[in-house]
Amino acid sequence: MKLTLSSIRKKYKEKTVLQIPELELEEGYFWGIIGPNGSGKSTLLKIIAGLMEATEGNVLYHNHTLNEKTRRSMTLVFQKPYLLRTTVYNNIAYPLKIRGYSKRDIHMRVNAMLEDFGIEGLRDQKAWTLSGGEGQKVALARALVFKPKLLMLDEPTANIDPSSIILLEEKIREYYAMEKPTILMVTHNIQQTRRLCNRGAFMYEGEVLDSGDVSHLFGLEANPLVQSFIRQGLI
Amino acid sequence: MENFVSGFQDAFQLIITMDPEFFAIVQLSLVVSLTATLLASLFAIPFGVLLGIREFPGKWLLVRIIYTLMSMPPVVIGLVFFLLFLRSGPLGHFGLNFTPTAMIIAQFALVTPIITGVVFNGTKERGPDIQDLAKTMGASPTQTVWLLIRELRINILSAVVTGYGRAMSEVGAVMVVGGNIRGHTRIMTTTIAMLRNMGEYSLAIATGIVLLLISFVINSLLYHWQQER
Repeated sequence: MKLTLSSIRKKYKEKTVLQIPELELEEGYFWGIIGPNGSGKSTLLKIIAGLMEATEGNVLYHNHTLNEKTRRSMTLVFQKPYLLRTTVYNNIAYPLKIRGYSKRDIHMRVNAMLEDFGIEGLRDQKAWTLSGGEGQKVALARALVFKPKLLMLDEPTANIDPSSIILLEEKIREYYAMEKPTILMVTHNIQQTRRLCNRGAFMYEGEVLDSGDVSHLFGLEANPLVQSFIRQGLI
Repeated sequence: MENFVSGFQDAFQLIITMDPEFFAIVQLSLVVSLTATLLASLFAIPFGVLLGIREFPGKWLLVRIIYTLMSMPPVVIGLVFFLLFLRSGPLGHFGLNFTPTAMIIAQFALVTPIITGVVFNGTKERGPDIQDLAKTMGASPTQTVWLLIRELRINILSAVVTGYGRAMSEVGAVMVVGGNIRGHTRIMTTTIAMLRNMGEYSLAIATGIVLLLISFVINSLLYHWQQER
């Protein structure tokens, strides 16, 4: 899913929090969006996901503005995901139900996800009784079950236990390898970006300071300010 | 103390003898309050949900008005509708004063802000998250509305039960617009007020006990739903 951000600007009252004259996110790449707090990373994801409107500019998908159909092939997983007040099974089944899948298909796909994520034992557990790591696994399983072409992840492994981080990274990597979607992942974790992503964008004060291949972003050719931030671990 | 003891005895007597007049009063109380609450719910639930998820100019003022109306004295509501329904009033030609319909309308006006306010409070807390989830999952606008209602069902049920409890227990509005006419507009709360004026304390207590029993059932249901949390 090729995305083009064209003259995007987001203002809160008089303050510009995001300004991207032009950014092309090529199809099939795994993008790591990094930058210090308040640099506009999450705002960018929310605008692409349609949760927030840009004050100016457009998000284009293959040169067309996003519509309901194209939005159905994308999703966003939050750092603190909202889980429906029902069982784990029903949470994962939700995107399939609203897409009109048959009960049999839903059953097969959800069970496969539960097994894949090692959470079969949580199948009938109420979502509000889950730990942070379990909840994030359910949220990721729910996002992957309908095979989105654009997967957005907003700090998907922040504040969760190390074993859950390993599993979540593994599942994201597997999904990328199998389906070749476009992935945009906001993270503060430089090592995680190196481990998972093949493209990167560094944001600072609402602007994309540098972007491109991960080796470029973490190399000596990157914008000096980016190099300085990364060297000092200030993201 | 004697009144309380005989009140319990009379209440027991009223229930086991199935006194027809008393049961007609209980039935009318339930019908009036249930109808008013259902009609209010039809309007107040979507209104409260929308108010919780939408931002628009003047929203703060509207919310304050709703909160103010939540504590509006029933007798004032009754008086307003009584004046509107007077023969010489703007809605006089409907001839609604001293009818169960007028009582339903008055209770509708009493309960609507309460249900709206409670639903609004629940929605503003969780509604935006639910809406965001629906969008990220690719839900259509209709599917989003259904998801909101489903996710907020406990809050919505609490709002409806709270509204129903308020309608059942109020006396001022129905007394003013209904007139407490025997066999026509007499309900439990107006009966209690009338019996007190007549000095029939034990019968008044008996009616109060039955009213409390109904409230107990309603609150038990509310407690049961809240346990689901």
